[in-house]
Amino acid sequence: MKILIVEDELPLLESMITYFTEVGTICESASTYASASEKINLYSYDCVLLDLGLPDGEGLNLLKELKKLKKNDGVLIISARHSLDDKLCGLDLGADDYLVKPFHLSELKARVTAIIRRKKFDGNNVITFNEITVDITNMETSVNGQPITLTRKEYDLLVYFLSNKGKVVTKNAIAEHLWGDEMDISDDFDFIYTHIKNLRKKIIEAGTNDYLQSVYGIGYKFGSV
Amino acid sequence: MKLADRYNRVNLLAALIVLMITGGIYYCVIHLIFTEKLDRDLKVEENEIKQYVATYKKLPLPASFLDQQVHYRLLKTGVKENRFFKNTSYFNVKENESEPGRSLITTLNQGDNLYEVTITKSRLEADDLIRIILLITLGVTCLLLLSLLLVNRFFLKQLWKPFYSILSQMKAFNLVKMNSIELNPTEVDEFQELNKSATQMAASVRQDYKELKNFTDNASHEMMTPLAVINSKLDTLLQAGPITQTQGVLLEDIYTAINRLTKLNQSLLLLTKIENNLMSDVQVVDFKELISDKCRQFQEILSRENIKLNINLQPCEIEMSRYLADILLNNLLGNAIKYNRTNGFVSINLNVNSLEIINSGKSFALTEQHFDRFFKSASSEGTGLGLAIIKQICELYNFSIDYSFPEGNHCFTVLIDS
Repeated sequence: MKILIVEDELPLLESMITYFTEVGTICESASTYASASEKINLYSYDCVLLDLGLPDGEGLNLLKELKKLKKNDGVLIISARHSLDDKLCGLDLGADDYLVKPFHLSELKARVTAIIRRKKFDGNNVITFNEITVDITNMETSVNGQPITLTRKEYDLLVYFLSNKGKVVTKNAIAEHLWGDEMDISDDFDFIYTHIKNLRKKIIEAGTNDYLQSVYGIGYKFGSV
Repeated sequence: MKLADRYNRVNLLAALIVLMITGGIYYCVIHLIFTEKLDRDLKVEENEIKQYVATYKKLPLPASFLDQQVHYRLLKTGVKENRFFKNTSYFNVKENESEPGRSLITTLNQGDNLYEVTITKSRLEADDLIRIILLITLGVTCLLLLSLLLVNRFFLKQLWKPFYSILSQMKAFNLVKMNSIELNPTEVDEFQELNKSATQMAASVRQDYKELKNFTDNASHEMMTPLAVINSKLDTLLQAGPITQTQGVLLEDIYTAINRLTKLNQSLLLLTKIENNLMSDVQVVDFKELISDKCRQFQEILSRENIKLNINLQPCEIEMSRYLADILLNNLLGNAIKYNRTNGFVSINLNVNSLEIINSGKSFALTEQHFDRFFKSASSEGTGLGLAIIKQICELYNFSIDYSFPEGNHCFTVLIDS
């Protein structure tokens, strides 16, 4: 997996690179329009993470450039602009997704993974993690070949964890991912706990190891111990 | 009242008064001239009688005069000579009727006798003439007024056309759509100037609006980027290695604070956007459907708190920004659930022009102040902007929002007046 991160805010860029770099992932970066333009012309990426406000150019033009080159790179726009026009404009120009700053790195990872999956497998995509198999197209989950029934929220949660294998994912990020803006209503995360408890119970009962660990009340980590 | 109507009214009134006064003067003058002429004729007649008396030493016969009557009356001795004109009546023998007349009464010496001579002429012809002249004058006056009226009505309408064209463009001027005011070709200096001013104003307003939008964008960008950095650093820190229980609690507090700051920032930007009417996704929003969706989304929290939901939805479609409709309902329903109590209830009544949300609650009645920015009750954990945003959205679309506190329940009513 090869991704390009275009972001002018260096500390943020650094965090993203650290989060994304793992076995099997090559992570390149560009902090100016010029260098980003050079890179997209020379190489192909599975996904380009594009910040709209660059010091020497408009990020959307980079997207236009990419489309002109007829490349099949996935594009995720990262923007501090919460303006609907920009969002629609970006998606119209062929971006695959749009994420507004500030965001959780786990959310970013989940979205990038989803884009790459969609691009690579052309609608027939399956995530496998040890004995767990999730068929994204049909939204079906099975453990050791035996299908298990998950609720919509449990399914979303599992896919989210699988995209962030081995990372600590905060309750905050999970809540935002599952409930979005309605999260303002309740400040306690009890209901997240309920969903996680149920998911964990279901996959353990189907015969997996206990991959989910709680991390000091702040979040959860999914992965082989 | 339209300018043209007002102008017409004054114009016609002035014309009428002037014409009436001149008509009066005209009448008097003509009358005077005719009386003078009549008097002159009478004097000629008097002369003839005097000459006749001087020549024949006797009075002429009264019947020998055409179109005039002459009477003689013997005066007693000692009466002074006298001579004057007078309006009298004239008896027309042919027509056998009385007509207005003019008489010259004078005295005449014949021998030793002093006679009073009355010469009377009919004024009928003169009066007829005056009447005809008056009628013609009146006719001309009416015609003049009528033509003025018509000219004003049609010509003025034509003349004001550029004005109304500019006016309609100004009315239709919409910042969000960024349309400009076009120049209408016109010969009239005033309209040219108006046209120019309107165009310039529109251009400068558009420029200001653009700058404002840029400012909003920049402010958002500048504030969100550091927040994004903090958030990402925290996420990275979390992956870095084992953390202690105490550190975990600290991190969670930081996350919560950042989350609040982000929400606050977003809310402020949203308020600015609504104030400046920067919403462009105006469409017909099906409130019935949207509320049903929201209720499904909130179902989980409702059932967790065992809050009973009563909904009574009638079809209601409103033309507004979809995004704002979403936020409006999120905030209203969110509040109704957030400030509810366990085993409470939420009632939603929607009909064509009103939305009513009633919920049980634990606190006391809200005051007008709760709609102000950053005003919140001590127990509230929100940003203090939720109700301000609701109010602002309602103001933008001319909805009215009312709050009442019947039987210890909170009741918000949004009146949609379209």
